[in-house]
Amino acid sequence: MQLTVNGERHTVSDEPQERALLWVLRDELGLIGTKYGCGIGICGSCTVHIDGEAARACITPLSSLEERQIRTIEGLAEQRENGELALHPVQQTFLDEQVPQCSWCMSGQMMHAAAFLESTPDPSEDDIIEAMQNNYCRCGCYLRIKRAVAKAAQLRRAGEDSD
Amino acid sequence: MKTVTKGSHNTDNPPKKRRWRVSRRGFLIGLGITGVGAAVGLRFGVPEARLRVARVLDDSGPPGTIDAAPSVWFDITPENQVTLHLPKVEMGQGIHTSLAQIAAEELGCDWEQLQVVQTGTASGPEDGMGTSASNSVASLFTPLREAAASMRVMLSGAAASLLGVSTSSLVVEDGVIKGAEGEDIRLTFGEVVAQTDPDSWEAPSDPPSLKPISDFKLVGQSKPRVDLQAKLMGSAEYGYDKRLAGMLYGAVARPETLEGSLVSAGPGEAPNEPGVVSVIARNDFVGVAAESRAQAQAALDKLELRWEPGKLWEQDEIEALTTAQDGAGVVIQREGNAARELGRGSGLEAEYRTPMAMHAHLEPQAALVDVKPDKVRAWVSTQAAMTVRRDIARALGRDEDDVEVTPSYLGGGFGRKLDVEAAVEAARLSQAAGRPVHVGWTREEDFKHGYLRPPTHHRLRARLEGERITALEHQQASGDVAFISLPDIAATILGADFGAWRGATFHYDGVPHRRASAQRVKLPVRTGWWRGLGLMANTFAVESFIDELAHQVNQDPLKFRLAHLGSDERGHRFGNVLRAAAERAGWGASLPDGHALGIACCTDVKTVVAQVAEVSLEGGEIRVHNVTCAVDPGLVINPDGAKAQSEGAIIMGLSSTLLESVRIQEGKIDAANLNQYPLLGMRQSPNIDITLLESGADPYGMGEPPIGPIAAAVANAVFSLTGERLRHLPLSPNKEG
Repeated sequence: MQLTVNGERHTVSDEPQERALLWVLRDELGLIGTKYGCGIGICGSCTVHIDGEAARACITPLSSLEERQIRTIEGLAEQRENGELALHPVQQTFLDEQVPQCSWCMSGQMMHAAAFLESTPDPSEDDIIEAMQNNYCRCGCYLRIKRAVAKAAQLRRAGEDSD
Repeated sequence: MKTVTKGSHNTDNPPKKRRWRVSRRGFLIGLGITGVGAAVGLRFGVPEARLRVARVLDDSGPPGTIDAAPSVWFDITPENQVTLHLPKVEMGQGIHTSLAQIAAEELGCDWEQLQVVQTGTASGPEDGMGTSASNSVASLFTPLREAAASMRVMLSGAAASLLGVSTSSLVVEDGVIKGAEGEDIRLTFGEVVAQTDPDSWEAPSDPPSLKPISDFKLVGQSKPRVDLQAKLMGSAEYGYDKRLAGMLYGAVARPETLEGSLVSAGPGEAPNEPGVVSVIARNDFVGVAAESRAQAQAALDKLELRWEPGKLWEQDEIEALTTAQDGAGVVIQREGNAARELGRGSGLEAEYRTPMAMHAHLEPQAALVDVKPDKVRAWVSTQAAMTVRRDIARALGRDEDDVEVTPSYLGGGFGRKLDVEAAVEAARLSQAAGRPVHVGWTREEDFKHGYLRPPTHHRLRARLEGERITALEHQQASGDVAFISLPDIAATILGADFGAWRGATFHYDGVPHRRASAQRVKLPVRTGWWRGLGLMANTFAVESFIDELAHQVNQDPLKFRLAHLGSDERGHRFGNVLRAAAERAGWGASLPDGHALGIACCTDVKTVVAQVAEVSLEGGEIRVHNVTCAVDPGLVINPDGAKAQSEGAIIMGLSSTLLESVRIQEGKIDAANLNQYPLLGMRQSPNIDITLLESGADPYGMGEPPIGPIAAAVANAVFSLTGERLRHLPLSPNKEG
């Protein structure tokens, strides 16, 4: 079957159909930025976008993904026409705020935050907490994540205003 | 001594022979040419850091730097690139950045000119201690500066020869060698390397004098982390991410119960299952290597295995074993005569208990191993590459020199990745399959088959006279921590586990009679290293009890603590952090209705920490609103990094304080995955305010000390709010019987 990841089409085996997107991305396509943490959709380390919505790749079966657009952390930054790579506002503020420690959960945190800001461009602090509550960070970077998501929202809105 | 050069050599151009010189201090310096063609470099060695297994009191700081082995710290290329080779692994603590700051400061190079490379067992400085015990900065601060300063002197000496001027007429600044009096001289490091023969460079016979702290430009700055860009793009490689062409995936059969063992093992139908390449079925190891992870896992069900479950332990039996027996154990602190003083009456007694806990690092343990006839290469998510090398060599019956272990980035370590069983499993399977094998544990394997933070029990006694404590006693019992990594003979000689009793002694030097003892509890469940070792459990007991004593005599818990500190430097530093945390937290000022404050402090690896927690009860549950923390880690290398470590330790400690507990049921660990073992999330995370107080010229530990006081600070705040003294973790108001 055909799998579209970060705008690129990949041919992957149809069988077994129930295998999780996470391992197809990591072990078959070599997209290692999406991380395994629990395998049961609890920790959020494997969060990707499917048609723009945040989804847990560890519990997403391959069979559900024909004709869907998948985006992973490797495709979060924007490749500009002049060849430059522009960090997504979430990546930029996670860098500015020096958010990650070990960073194993951070692809998932950023993918979740990026999808959240698409639907909630001007979130309150409570909105952010509500949205990010189910993405675990064992290093305990929650305060910085909260701050960086709030700043990413500002940065994103500023970017839209200037467009 | 083995010298290994990174990268491959062109056999037509063998590298020039190294020269070694030994100075009066046994300070070893190696010079040589690395690589081929233009990739001329210069390499240089200093003493390494190794764990000294010693019976040290927990306030004596990290083990010292011992032994000498020449090894590579720096490469400088003609292109003016400086590479710093670091044996310490980056697991989120920012160590690559802190060590780079120290090295760049003393070398005099430009921050942007420096890159950091993770070394393994085959290249770079040897590191027998691993990355643990909040020891990396403390143990490398001086050796790394001496190495860098020597390199600077040599560069400057070579430049002086090149220019025909005296060395004293040159200065090194921002990666450029300049005239000391503003002469028109400007040479980059790369130009010196390109235009001189490094074999002719003069190594200083003694370590040169080091920069005074007052001249530091990089140390003390919040430099951004050197590893974040790759991590934020998703391209940073961890042990779970390592790949090689032709690799297979391994899965290993494990017992369902704590004492489970194999009675018989046969391959059954597993070899005929789809994708299966190799099966090992022995009573001591059963594993499958297959083309995919899922195939390897599925084939485990087709093996013919007969298990003997062993005794089916229950939680109450574990707790009964984990009980401090009065008068037993090894004495770890003895000041005055606490027993006699306590015998005089007017005392207070209390018992505390803490449960087992998971590390729950979000990257389960993982390794990729490629066993070849001449060489075994392993890429491992490990805190201790040399331990992994030893374990793989033993398992395969190979010489350690045949095994090269390269640590990756770690997705959390917290002490769990000091032992990486997955590496040995991957090595066995790779040997059998003749192809590289990756073993990445599932979350269930990591929960059920790792080692845990040990359970502890504490008996505390004190005698009061008026408003003063005259005697304190702490009898502590714990499952093993450091002993899991030591041979039995060491455990027998030491008697008590120095890891288990970190934080168990009393730092209130104003109390004349103090006694602490530690009892080893042998348990049927594996316990071991966990962030801070015994620090959080012991501090919870000791600092809650001090709070009990303060309330017993109607004293303010802050003033009561200050009144019992010693008058020496340590007492002074404790006073500073206690007052700073209290002041920032608004101690004594009015609070919102239904809120209360609690305070606690500790010392660990010479760092002192005080924390104030502000809590309320919401629907019967503890809600922590604010944590104010003051830390004195000696000299601060990277303030933002030190704050991040404090924030992280507080959140991890708070997760233990409020939520975490592992129990044993029917011979098994009760939690299989994170749905059965919730961690603290963003909603339960308090605001955190960190104040860094510097003292002295030496950096101490930063990764663990701030995990010490949090549980006691919260429990003390709950007492202040409700009058209920909570003596068990996780804290559970109105539920303790």
